[in-house]
Amino acid sequence: MDPDGINELQWSRRNKMGLLENRFNDNVIVEKLDKLLSWGRSTSPWFFQFGTACCAIEMMAAAASRHDLMRIGMIPRSSPRQADVMIVAGTVTMKMALRVKKLYEQMADPKYVVAMGSCATSGGPYWQHGYHVLKGVDIVIPVDVYVPGCPPRPEALIEGLLKLQEQILDERPLTRKMA
Amino acid sequence: MSTDQDKLITELVEKGLTGDMEPINSIEDRVLRSKAKAALAKAKRAAKSQETAEPKKKKSEEKSSDDLPSSVNLNEKIVYMINEKFSGSLANENTETHIQLKSDQWFEIATWLKSEPSLFFDSLQCQTGIDVGDNTLEARYNFHSMKHNHYTEIRIAVPRKEATIPSVEQIWRIADWFERETYDMLGIEFSGHRDLRRILLPDDWEGWPLRKDYLVQETYHGIVVPKMKEGWE
Amino acid sequence: MGVVHGEEMVLNIGPQHPATHGVLRLQVRTDGEVVSEVTPYLGYLHRCFEKHCENVTYEQVIPFTDRCDYLASMTNNFGYVVAMEGLMDIKVNERVEHIRVIMAELQRIASHLLGLGAFGLDIGAFTPFLHMLRDRERILDLFEMTCGARLLYNYMWVGGLSHDLPVGFVESTYRFLDYFEPKIDEFVKLLVHNKIFVERTADVGRLPQDVAISYGVSGPNLRASGQKWDLRKDDPYSIYDRFEFDIPVGEGGKGSVGDCWDRFYVRVLEMKESIKILRQALSSLPKEGDVYQSLPKKIRPPIGSIYKRTESPRGDLGYYIESDGTNIPYRLKMRSPAFTALSVIDEIAAGWLLSDVLAILGSLDIVLGEIDR
Repeated sequence: MDPDGINELQWSRRNKMGLLENRFNDNVIVEKLDKLLSWGRSTSPWFFQFGTACCAIEMMAAAASRHDLMRIGMIPRSSPRQADVMIVAGTVTMKMALRVKKLYEQMADPKYVVAMGSCATSGGPYWQHGYHVLKGVDIVIPVDVYVPGCPPRPEALIEGLLKLQEQILDERPLTRKMA
Repeated sequence: MSTDQDKLITELVEKGLTGDMEPINSIEDRVLRSKAKAALAKAKRAAKSQETAEPKKKKSEEKSSDDLPSSVNLNEKIVYMINEKFSGSLANENTETHIQLKSDQWFEIATWLKSEPSLFFDSLQCQTGIDVGDNTLEARYNFHSMKHNHYTEIRIAVPRKEATIPSVEQIWRIADWFERETYDMLGIEFSGHRDLRRILLPDDWEGWPLRKDYLVQETYHGIVVPKMKEGWE
Repeated sequence: MGVVHGEEMVLNIGPQHPATHGVLRLQVRTDGEVVSEVTPYLGYLHRCFEKHCENVTYEQVIPFTDRCDYLASMTNNFGYVVAMEGLMDIKVNERVEHIRVIMAELQRIASHLLGLGAFGLDIGAFTPFLHMLRDRERILDLFEMTCGARLLYNYMWVGGLSHDLPVGFVESTYRFLDYFEPKIDEFVKLLVHNKIFVERTADVGRLPQDVAISYGVSGPNLRASGQKWDLRKDDPYSIYDRFEFDIPVGEGGKGSVGDCWDRFYVRVLEMKESIKILRQALSSLPKEGDVYQSLPKKIRPPIGSIYKRTESPRGDLGYYIESDGTNIPYRLKMRSPAFTALSVIDEIAAGWLLSDVLAILGSLDIVLGEIDR
């Protein structure tokens, strides 16, 4: 049994290369370009630290010594132009919503968004009487992963980011999409 | 309920209030027994609230003479001095917890409060704007003196339509931001303020949120504001 | 040699910036590197806290107060609870008072650790930040042992607490204090007397004492300017008058009184004083006592108002509560110390270089959640 938990049948189905399989020496890897690209993207997404409120502290704690975010390949970048993932941590207000949109547009493709905490997901504890609170950041930008919690523990954030990595791994960037 | 039953229940309640539950418990008719017990509970609650109201009144009277002598005496002293120097600025004479002023001579009074050696209120602790209903808005100032370590509270009431109070930001510099925040939340204008604009909300926001009759605007730059999103029930 | 003057440039620092402590926008007018005016723009995190307080019950306000100053939520709760108990005349028993003081002082150490670490990070020192966060995690472990949450606790209730201390808490806290005390000396060696740090912070951003009082600055910022004012000693609440501790005051150790280095060093010394208070409180903690004893069944304060201040790690945290006799507050205003601390930045940052502006901002130790509420 494969230690990664994938059994023989799945492995062989995944990696069928047809005529080219097992034709070369051991130091030659044959793989689809699609999969290579998405594997490269998924294992080192650099995150854009967009922390607004309390969840930002948990994001900082996740990046610090006890729960280390760098071991899953994520480095904090301060500029949107150098980042792949934007972690929206904290409440987004109306005043800030316009800036969030601008920052999202400044990121280069491929870009992903993680909505961390219940404020970024749906307004959080301020949903009822908060006239200045944006009820969820997905009103202004598209979100890929929602991490619930108020604030979510660093372990929960890491789980959300690992799910994001799985999502990126399943993408096929070069395949033409059917209309 | 018939009058006989009424009389019976009143008798039973009286007996129950003294602690004698036997007559109530010995009634065979369940409905009557439960009615009597309900009436007894109601009477007990009424008696208790009367009791607590009286000691509380007594307590507050005692408190005001024993526990807060310094601030009440200080308030009286300030009111006496204000009446001497700036006559006509007191709105009412009650000085137990605060001093109520009119807004006309507020700037002069504030300058005097800071510079008068026996008072020396050199620190404005907190400025609250509040909508007290009745078409009145109030601005409440909490002062503290570092030198003498005493406190006071001053309230100024203005009508809702023309809410204007002289600004004291030249005297206590923190009043600059406090007054901007009160203007932002309640719409009280401070005349003489050098830069009165919104501080917490965006500049093009409509309305004064902390007023009791505030209605949230529908959209802000195309983003929907009120609490229901589509898809929520 | 003459100085070259160009045109004035307007530069926006923020609202998204790694060195502003949250979403703050500083509009800076500079001539080259020299800054002539700094204007802070707030409101990017205005979450309508005061409007919420007018619509929920008194018990439900406590989680909202947590989220205002999210680095020190125990002391936020403490301030609110002390004000409410003053309004309603409730006396709590000894065990509750001791536990509240223990939690508040642990929270003070945790908040100072993060504030100092973030200040070092702004200057460019990355390692002390990681050291501080490692020690702060141990305090968060203690909090999690008690009430289950790492950051926002909802722990202090009007008339009592939400959970009693678990078994083993006192021993764990003693172990933590024994572990942590030498770490402060290690930190002093690493950063406080470090030549680069001293050159970047000594004499920078001097805040004179009378300006500080007029601007309402309080807490460590005021103490660094030379005024010996601490609410725990000068206007005591709870049982602080029973403990012996000093008030560290800035003396211009490396530069002039009231500069950034003083504000930094006063916080380091305050952590030592907090350890003293903690040891005394832990040794006098009564073993008997029910933390739910004085919880009122319904919170319906009498008609009236109260303004009460307590000492949070950032300064004087004040609550102005006006009640109209129902179980929902009529008006609740939170007077936040960071609001007043930020207002002084135009006075003290004008005339310095651009990188000094960030050093000054870091030394004031602000939290945007409290400023914008």
